[in-house]
Amino acid sequence: MHSARLFIHQISTKNVRGEPPLLSFNNISFAYSHQSESDTDNELLPAGIGLDSGAILRNVSFALERGEWVVLLGANGSGKSTLARLANGLLLPLEGEVVVDGISSWDHDRLRELRERVGLVTQDPDNQIVSTTVFDEIAFGPQNLGWEPARIYAAVSDALAQVGLPEEDFAQRDPNSLSGGEKQRVVLAATLAMQPFYLVLDEPTSMLDPLARAQVLEATARAVRQGHGVLQSTHILREAGFADRVIVLDRGRVAYDGAPEGILADEAAGLSYGLTAEPAIRGLLPVSSDRGRQVDGQGPEKAEALTLSEVSFSYPDDPSHRPVLSDFELRLARGECLLLVGASGSGKSTVLSLAAGLLQPSEGTVLLGSRSPVPGQVGLVFQQPETQLFAQTLSEDILFGPKNLGRELAGTDEELVDEVLAAVGLEPARFKKRSPFSLSGGEARRAAIATILALGSDFLLLDEPTAGLDAQGKVFIYELLQALLAEGKGILIATHDPGYFASLATGRVEL
Amino acid sequence: MALPLPFGNYLALDTPIHRIDARVKLLLVAVYVFALFACKTWIGLSAALLLLVILFAVAHIPARRALRGLKPVLFILAFTLLANALTFGALDPATPTEQAAAQAAAAGTASAEMARESHAAQQATLLSLPWLGLDLSLDLPQSIPLMGSFGIRPLGIVRGLYFALRISLLVLVTSLLTYTTSVVSLTDAIGKLLAPLRALRVPVEDIAMVFTIALRFIPLTASEAEKLIVAQSARGARFNQGGLIRRARAWIPVMIPLFVNLFRRADHLAQAMESRCYIGRGRTQLSHDHLTGSDFAWAVCGSALLVAIGLLL
Repeated sequence: MHSARLFIHQISTKNVRGEPPLLSFNNISFAYSHQSESDTDNELLPAGIGLDSGAILRNVSFALERGEWVVLLGANGSGKSTLARLANGLLLPLEGEVVVDGISSWDHDRLRELRERVGLVTQDPDNQIVSTTVFDEIAFGPQNLGWEPARIYAAVSDALAQVGLPEEDFAQRDPNSLSGGEKQRVVLAATLAMQPFYLVLDEPTSMLDPLARAQVLEATARAVRQGHGVLQSTHILREAGFADRVIVLDRGRVAYDGAPEGILADEAAGLSYGLTAEPAIRGLLPVSSDRGRQVDGQGPEKAEALTLSEVSFSYPDDPSHRPVLSDFELRLARGECLLLVGASGSGKSTVLSLAAGLLQPSEGTVLLGSRSPVPGQVGLVFQQPETQLFAQTLSEDILFGPKNLGRELAGTDEELVDEVLAAVGLEPARFKKRSPFSLSGGEARRAAIATILALGSDFLLLDEPTAGLDAQGKVFIYELLQALLAEGKGILIATHDPGYFASLATGRVEL
Repeated sequence: MALPLPFGNYLALDTPIHRIDARVKLLLVAVYVFALFACKTWIGLSAALLLLVILFAVAHIPARRALRGLKPVLFILAFTLLANALTFGALDPATPTEQAAAQAAAAGTASAEMARESHAAQQATLLSLPWLGLDLSLDLPQSIPLMGSFGIRPLGIVRGLYFALRISLLVLVTSLLTYTTSVVSLTDAIGKLLAPLRALRVPVEDIAMVFTIALRFIPLTASEAEKLIVAQSARGARFNQGGLIRRARAWIPVMIPLFVNLFRRADHLAQAMESRCYIGRGRTQLSHDHLTGSDFAWAVCGSALLVAIGLLL
């Protein structure tokens, strides 16, 4: 209540000279001057998204009112993040003008005033938190604005209440000890504490699990009710349902601007803007006889199944010895696809690490065929596997695993690289000499999966393989897994979204 | 495979020692170090040791935890002791006497007296309190040869122990500080103690911000490194095989992505700070805690006691 009153008071006193209170994008075009081959929507140096001129945004015009919730929909690389950074003057348009309550982002002297009005929250909370306690983090912005201490203390309390984090429990916490969803709510509170009129949220939920996502959306809704204008970008179509208005960005152009129903109901439009995508064939392909890659008898020992029996596990350095798993059973046979489901922190990642031989069970046995798996014998694709790419060229990165396993691949090196790159849909001739760091987000994810496929294991374990991917990225994962399954591999997927893989799955394990 | 962090041994307890303001604790550690070097006798060091033992007890730090801080300096302690205790200038006690006797026969008794005296037992000062008229010493032979001129100097052992104890106390007092003070309050305190330098145009706020960001990102980077180690292990990487060069090379697949990520993060963080109007100037300073009466009492009484130990003992 208190914060709502405070905020309305702010609006009435800070209103400017009869200018219409709007955050407006007037005929914006934008391109990055330093063209790299990277096109990730979330990177600082996106460029070259396939448009001839390299333009990221073209003639984008729309306006956001206070108290309005606009959802900006678009596939990866459609220009959402660029637009968000244009909104508060971090970037300046090539053509056109961003005007906030009468202040142009071109007006360098008033940039600070503009940023006081437009709060920006981006995707990864860990890239935005500067302080070592939650209190300090939320006070950071108001301190920069030079507010009186008493006003800062009040603003921190209000902001924490607004995002649903009780002050007495959270104010003195170390941000490193918070969950992803809590961190993102702290980031949101830190922005709200500065009492901006507009909030620009750039994919605030894309790194979160469904529960945390709902909490962030709830906090956003509360901010809208209190009179903030919200521009929230997402590639998740169903998040459009909350909005007052939806704007669809398709390769840098506004493709739709209107009520959410218009786009939610229009399947054809959703498909053509890359907001939805359907795998070519839904469901299982017939399992063919063993088409798995053979490397001249040097391949891994053929095992028919990966089994975890009566497995218990607790982390040895956890003083409470609280078991993460107890009496856990799992059997994954070749040609099977199991879904591993459970809330965050229920031990899904632990199961995968145990199954891959990276952790040893406290009790029970993990067997690949008749032996305990040695790391590298079972393919394990971690969350955001693209972060583990390191070599100078993709082909070096792909051969890292097989060489570690001491596999003699003389003469077949090139073949292996070509084969796994082709399997993940990256044209070998174009990609194998590329640096892994020059790839777009989607390409890097594929390349990282290729490095695991190169291990040649019959079993593949994946941890949240679709996290952060847009509709087309998810379809790629689906189709890849479908093909691997048809080759006779055994696949285990830890996921928050079992529905997506339901038609692929032969079974389901609950944690 | 948790990576050991250079700090982070803070034990979150609520004891009188924990409650002292970090600035006061920093001051007292500084005075304690002064006292260690100013005092010249075993009595002084013993008093300092006793004081530290009492403080560790009050702070509820278990003895094993407290002594853990000495592990990294064990080598230095051993070296200090040995370097002082061993000598290559040892002389057989029998030889000089005979020589002296022979010399005495040749040159008269005066020089024999001198020779005997110079090789006679030396005194290790154990307790010397001139202001109380106290002077307690231990008579020790100068050297005990073991092999040729290589031997032990008993006096050196005493001196080596003295130095080793002083180093130990130095290490222990800093670990008492880190056990009872969170890193956050420590950097906060350093920032506040540096504040007067602002007058000399030292960018104190920026320095404090650098420390804060480092504190925030060190644990994050450590956990990222851990994830990368596991991820590359899953691709068959081994970090504990082969010789030095092979082991060092094994870390490349961890270090490269780690650094690339850090640079990306730095860019994003700079944007986030800019978005929140950080320009490094004109920030409101929030002082979370003011010095209380007991902080002042600790500062005054503690300093007085330590200075007394340093100057009088």
